[in-house]
Amino acid sequence: MELLDRYLQAVKKHLPWDRQEDIIAELKANLESQLEDKEAALGRPLTKVEAEAWLKEMGLPIQVAARYLPQRYLIGPAVFPMYWYVLKLACFWSLIIFTIVWAVQVFAGSTASDIEFLGVVIRIPGVPMTTVLGVLLRMPGVMMTAAAWVTLIFAAIEFGIKRNPPICGPLAGAVTDWSPATLPPVDRNAKNKPRSFAMAAAEVIFGFLFLVWLLLVPGHPWLLMGPGAFAFHASPFRLAPVWIHFYWWVVGLNVLQLAWNCVDLARESWQRPQPAKQIALRGFGLIPMVVLLAAPGNVYLTLRNPASDQGLHGAQLAAINHGIFMGAALICILVGLQLLWEIGRLSLNSYRRRAAVR
Amino acid sequence: MTLSENLFENLRLELRRGCLTLAVLAQLRREYYGYTLRKALATHGLDIDESTLYPLLRRLEAQGLLASEWREEEKRNKRFYRLSSDGEKMFSQLLEEWQAINASIDATIGNNASGVTNASSDNTL
Repeated sequence: MELLDRYLQAVKKHLPWDRQEDIIAELKANLESQLEDKEAALGRPLTKVEAEAWLKEMGLPIQVAARYLPQRYLIGPAVFPMYWYVLKLACFWSLIIFTIVWAVQVFAGSTASDIEFLGVVIRIPGVPMTTVLGVLLRMPGVMMTAAAWVTLIFAAIEFGIKRNPPICGPLAGAVTDWSPATLPPVDRNAKNKPRSFAMAAAEVIFGFLFLVWLLLVPGHPWLLMGPGAFAFHASPFRLAPVWIHFYWWVVGLNVLQLAWNCVDLARESWQRPQPAKQIALRGFGLIPMVVLLAAPGNVYLTLRNPASDQGLHGAQLAAINHGIFMGAALICILVGLQLLWEIGRLSLNSYRRRAAVR
Repeated sequence: MTLSENLFENLRLELRRGCLTLAVLAQLRREYYGYTLRKALATHGLDIDESTLYPLLRRLEAQGLLASEWREEEKRNKRFYRLSSDGEKMFSQLLEEWQAINASIDATIGNNASGVTNASSDNTL
């Protein structure tokens, strides 16, 4: 039967060359016997349509051939859990390291660019927007490279274990050999415990005292700087107007937090975990930092007598202003990352809760 | 195919996979070639696809559980299989294991059934 020969030829193409003839001869004998039985039952040869249907039922030639091959995979089930764990770590840390390296390079740069955010212009040295975009576009590539290396290494381990169990056995043992004694202790995270009334009341009391202290600082700078306030007063520098905006934003945020805590106490809702509140407060906390970053000309200190002190203290002043800007930018980045982390964690927990309900 | 039918099909295949090997070993205490083995299993109610059975025979032979030889029958060369001595030992062990599993499942089902009966009779009292 020509159609059967064509089918067998298609299967043969996908078989290992050293076993092709043997497997095809056996398959042919079996299929021909089956064909004879079918034709004997019908009392006539199969029509072309019937033969096609019969062979189609046998399966796609490449799939039929694949069943004669040993099971093939790059990374087997024994090694896969460890591979998946390392892959996630590698992708995460490659991104972190890449971001840190990029940030160091950028802040060491000399050019400047302006970013406008909600009407506020922030001057960032050495960060043209095209560079930021370029870096973001390179992130998937960095992750893919890390993933490719991890996959390659684990595929080599799997290959080694399969081909040379005596030699690679210890390596496999390293993956599977473990002791319960090495497991980390149970996480007794304080965040999981409900807040007590005493804790909630203390937050309100100390929040109030902190606010009072904060409001006293402008009239009594020593409350903040100690003896340094007198030294600063005697120095050739003075604070730039941006600190007034910064100060009132900080006061406003503390009033908001205090009010929120008072409402919690009054509504007896202090025991409930409020991750959204924490995220909102952290988000608002970014505002004073953005105000600092948006200071006109990145000026945080000025000279009391510019005409006489410029030559003597001008360079020092520029260095201090640059240092304050860098510090503010770093804090802003860290708080922003922390905020993103908490939002991600909140979303994940919410997703888990929804999935558990389903 | 609905999701539930698909799940049933997957679980059914998983359940059958181990049993097929046992059935093939049991049948090959007598000599058969591929197609007649398939027919013999089918007469006992165990239908196996050609594309599953024939490669399975090869794998079992590679594992030393079956012995095979090419022989002419009805003017056609065919490969006949039967249990090897290692295969016979393995078959006895697997059969014992299968019977133990079967007994455990029967006992579990029996306990549950009597538990349900007791619970319902408790309710009526």
